[in-house]
Amino acid sequence: MEHTLILSSILFAAGLMTVIVKRNAIMVLIGIELMLNAANLNLVFFNRNNPALSGHFFALFVIVVAVCEAAVGLAIVLRVYKYYQTSIPDQLTELKD
Amino acid sequence: MSLISLALYIFEALAGAAALGILLVRNVFHAALLLIVCLISLAGVFVIYNAEFIAVTQILVYAGGVLVLIVFGIMLSSRIAGKPLVVTNQYVLPASLAGILSAGILIKLFSEQPFAQQPGALPGNPMNQTGIALMRDYVLPFEIAGILLLIALIGAAVTASSFYSKKQ
Amino acid sequence: MTNLTPSEILLALVLILPLVSAGVSFIIPERYSWATSLTAPLLLLVTAILSFVLFFTSEDLQVSAVWFSIGATEIPFSLLLDAASRLMIVVVSTVSFLVHLYSMGYMGYDQKITRYFGMLGLFTFSMLGIVLANQLILTFVFWELMGFSSYMLIGHWMEKPAAARAAQKAFLFNRIGDAFMLIGILITWIQQTSGNDPFWQTTGVICIFLGVVGKSAQLPLSFWLPDAMEGPTPVSALLHAATMVAAGVFLLIRINPLLTEPALTVIAITGIATALFGAVCALNQFDIKKILAYSTVSQLGLMITAIGLGAKDAALLHLFTHAFFKAGLFLAAGSIIHALSHQPNNTLDVQDIRNLGGLRKKLPVTFMVFCVTGASLAGVPLLSGFLSKDSILTAAWNLSHPTTQFLFTALILIVSFLTVLYTFRMIRFVFLGNESQATLHESPWVMRIPMILCAVASSWLLVSLNPLHISGWFIHSFPGAEASAIASIISAVTVLIALIAAVLLYSKQTSPKTIVMLQNGFGVDSFYQRTIGSAVLYFASAAEATDKKVLDGFLHFIVYAHVSIAHGIAWFDQYIIDGVVDTSARLVKWAGSFTRSFQGGKIQLYIFWAVAGLIIFLFFVLI
Repeated sequence: MEHTLILSSILFAAGLMTVIVKRNAIMVLIGIELMLNAANLNLVFFNRNNPALSGHFFALFVIVVAVCEAAVGLAIVLRVYKYYQTSIPDQLTELKD
Repeated sequence: MSLISLALYIFEALAGAAALGILLVRNVFHAALLLIVCLISLAGVFVIYNAEFIAVTQILVYAGGVLVLIVFGIMLSSRIAGKPLVVTNQYVLPASLAGILSAGILIKLFSEQPFAQQPGALPGNPMNQTGIALMRDYVLPFEIAGILLLIALIGAAVTASSFYSKKQ
Repeated sequence: MTNLTPSEILLALVLILPLVSAGVSFIIPERYSWATSLTAPLLLLVTAILSFVLFFTSEDLQVSAVWFSIGATEIPFSLLLDAASRLMIVVVSTVSFLVHLYSMGYMGYDQKITRYFGMLGLFTFSMLGIVLANQLILTFVFWELMGFSSYMLIGHWMEKPAAARAAQKAFLFNRIGDAFMLIGILITWIQQTSGNDPFWQTTGVICIFLGVVGKSAQLPLSFWLPDAMEGPTPVSALLHAATMVAAGVFLLIRINPLLTEPALTVIAITGIATALFGAVCALNQFDIKKILAYSTVSQLGLMITAIGLGAKDAALLHLFTHAFFKAGLFLAAGSIIHALSHQPNNTLDVQDIRNLGGLRKKLPVTFMVFCVTGASLAGVPLLSGFLSKDSILTAAWNLSHPTTQFLFTALILIVSFLTVLYTFRMIRFVFLGNESQATLHESPWVMRIPMILCAVASSWLLVSLNPLHISGWFIHSFPGAEASAIASIISAVTVLIALIAAVLLYSKQTSPKTIVMLQNGFGVDSFYQRTIGSAVLYFASAAEATDKKVLDGFLHFIVYAHVSIAHGIAWFDQYIIDGVVDTSARLVKWAGSFTRSFQGGKIQLYIFWAVAGLIIFLFFVLI
C-alpha cells in the first residue's frame, strides 16, 4: 500500500467535501482544483517509471483544462455576483421551476 | 529512510494537511492560501516522482495563474471591502459521509492492487524527452490545448466584462 | 273472394250497414247532430229492406275465410245464413229500424243523440254478427261487443245515478256469464279437436249456457234486466225484443246439436223456473217498464224451456213473435211516458201505474197498440203469441215421460195463466179506470208508425195462414214447430179462464196491490247485495289491507333494501374505487413532489446525490 495513493484519496475526499459543504462559489472552485490535483497525483505516481511519459502528458492536459475551468468559472462567479449580489450557489435557483 | 523518501513524506503530509485545512477553515482567503501550500507541496511530490515538467507547470499555472484568479475573485465578490469573506457550511453530515465513504472505497481499491514499485530514475534526460514527445507525439493535443486556453481566455474576458452586460 | 255472388254482397251489406251507421254517427260533428237522426234510420231502413230481399231470395249460404292462425290451427271467419239466421236478421233489422224510427221522435231533443244512434248502430251490428256467425269465437267477439254497447245504452243518461248503476250492474252480470261462456267455448273447442268425453262435453255446454243465462237474464242472473229499464225506452224495446236477450236464446238454438241429455235437463229446469219467477214478479210491480221487463224474463224462460225440451223451432218461433209484440208493448209504454213527461207541471213518476189511469180516451192509438200486443203476449187466439205459445205447450205435451209431461205442461199453463193476469192488470190500471190526467197529446207520427207496425206484426198472419194452427206460409222456417189440437184447446181455455179471473180480480180494485217481497224479485237481488256484495266488499277491504300491509311492506322492504345496497355501493364507490384512484393519484403526486424535491436548483445537493449514487454503484460493483 502506497502512501501516495492514500494522499490522493484524502485529497479527493477533501475536495469533494469542500464542493458539497462550502456555501461559496469560490470555495467550490477550490474544491474542484483539489480533486483535479488528486487525479494528477495519481497520474504522475503511476507513470513514475514509465519512459513513454503518457501519464505526464495526461496530467499536463488536465492542468490546462483546470486552468480553463478556473478562468471561466471565476468569470461566471463574478458575473453571477454582479447580477444576484450573492455568490452562494444554492441561492441561485432560477432554473428550479 | 533516504532523504528523498523523507522529503516525499514531508511534501505529502503538507499537501494532506493543507487539503484538510481548506476543508476546515472559514475564511475564503485562508483557503486560497492553503490551496497554494497544497499545490506547491504536490509540485514537490511530482519532482520526486520524475515529473519535473509537470511540477514546473503546476507551480507556474496553478500558483501563478489560478491562484491569482481566485484571489481576484475573492476580492471582487466580497461585498464590503476590508471585511473577510467568511463561509458557512451546509450538508455537513451527508457530505462527510460521502467523503469518508469515497475515500474508504478508493483506499480499499488501491490496497487490493500491487503497486509496490520503488521510485527510480528514468533513463535519459526527462525534460529533454518530454519536450521531444510534446512536440512530436503529442503535438496535436498540445495545439488543441493552446486553442482551448485561448477560447477560455476570450470567454472569461467576455463573460466577466461589464461592457457586454451593459450592452444587453 | 273476388267472385262474390249477389247474395254474399247482400249479406256483407246487411252486416256492415249498421256499423256504417254507427261510424257516421260518431263522425258527424256536434253542431249537425240532428243529421244523425236522419242518417241512422235511413241506413237501417236500407238494412231492413236488404235483409227482406235476402230472406226471400237467398239460399243457405256459408262464407268462410281464414281469420287468423295460431300455429297450425286456423281460426276461420265464418258466416252462415240458414233458415234460422235468415229469419233472425229480418227480425233484428226490422225491429232495429222501427226503434230507430221511434227514437227520432222519442229522443229528438236529447243532447247526446249522436252517441245514442252510434251505439244503437253498434248494438244492431253486434246482434247481426251473433246471428250470422258460424263459429263460437267469432260469436264471442260479437257477444262482448254487444255487452259493451248495451252498457253504453243502458247508461245513456249516466248523469242519473240509477242509470249508471243499472249499466254497471248489467255489465257485471253479463261479465259473470261471459267468463263462463269463454271457458265453455274453450272446453267445447278442445272436445271437438281431441276426444269426445261426454262429461266434458256436458260441462262445456253448461258453461256456455251460463253465458246465455247472463245475457238472456235467466235465473240466477236475471236481476240486471229490470234495472236496465233506466235506459231510454226505445233501447229497452230493442234490448228486449230483438237483440241482447234474444242473443242468448239464439245461441242455444245454434249450438243445439252440441247439447247433451243432462245439459238439456238443466236448461229446461232453469227455463221453467225463470218463467214462473218472472211471471210472479211481473204481477207485483208498479213500474210499467219493470212489469214489461219481468214479463220478458218470463217469456225468455219459456223459450229456454222449449230448448230444454228439445223443441228449438218452437223456441225460435216464440222468439220471433215475442220480438214484435214485446217491441210493440215497449214502444207503447214509451209513448205513454213520452206523452206524460212532456206535460207541464208534472211531478209524479209517470212510469208508476198507480199514477196512471184512464188513458184510453187520451191516447187511443197507444191504447189500441197496447191491447193488441198485450193480448198477443197473453196468448189470445188470432194473435201470434197464441201460436208460438201453443208450439211450446205442444213440446211439453209430447214428452214421453208421463211425470215430466204433466209437470211441464202444468207449469207452462200456470205461466200463461199468470201472463194473462199481469197483462190485464197493466191494461186495467193504465188505460181504464178513472182519468187522472187532464190534457194529453198523442205521440208524433214518427213514433206512432212503428207502434202500429209492431201491432200489425203481432197478428197471426205473420206466422201462419190458419189463425189457430201453424200451417201457414212461414211454416218452412219452422219445420220442427208443431202444435197439437189438444194443446191449442187447452191453451185457449186457460187464457179464457185467466181472462175471466183477471176481470173478476181487478175490476173491483181501485188501485193495484202488491206483495213487497215479490216486488223486489223475491228479495234475491237484495240477498245478492247483502251476501255477495258485502262479501266482495269484505274481500276488497281485506285485499286492500293485504295490499297495504303485505305487498306494500314487501315493496317497501325491497325499496329499502335497494336504497341500502345503493348506499353501500355509493360508499364503496366513494371510498374504495375513488379511494384507489385518489390514492394512485396522490402516490403519483407524492412521487412527483418527491422527485421534484431533488430538482431544487441546489447545485451542491445535486453533486451530493450524484456522488452518493456513484458510491452506491461502486459499492455494489467493485466490492
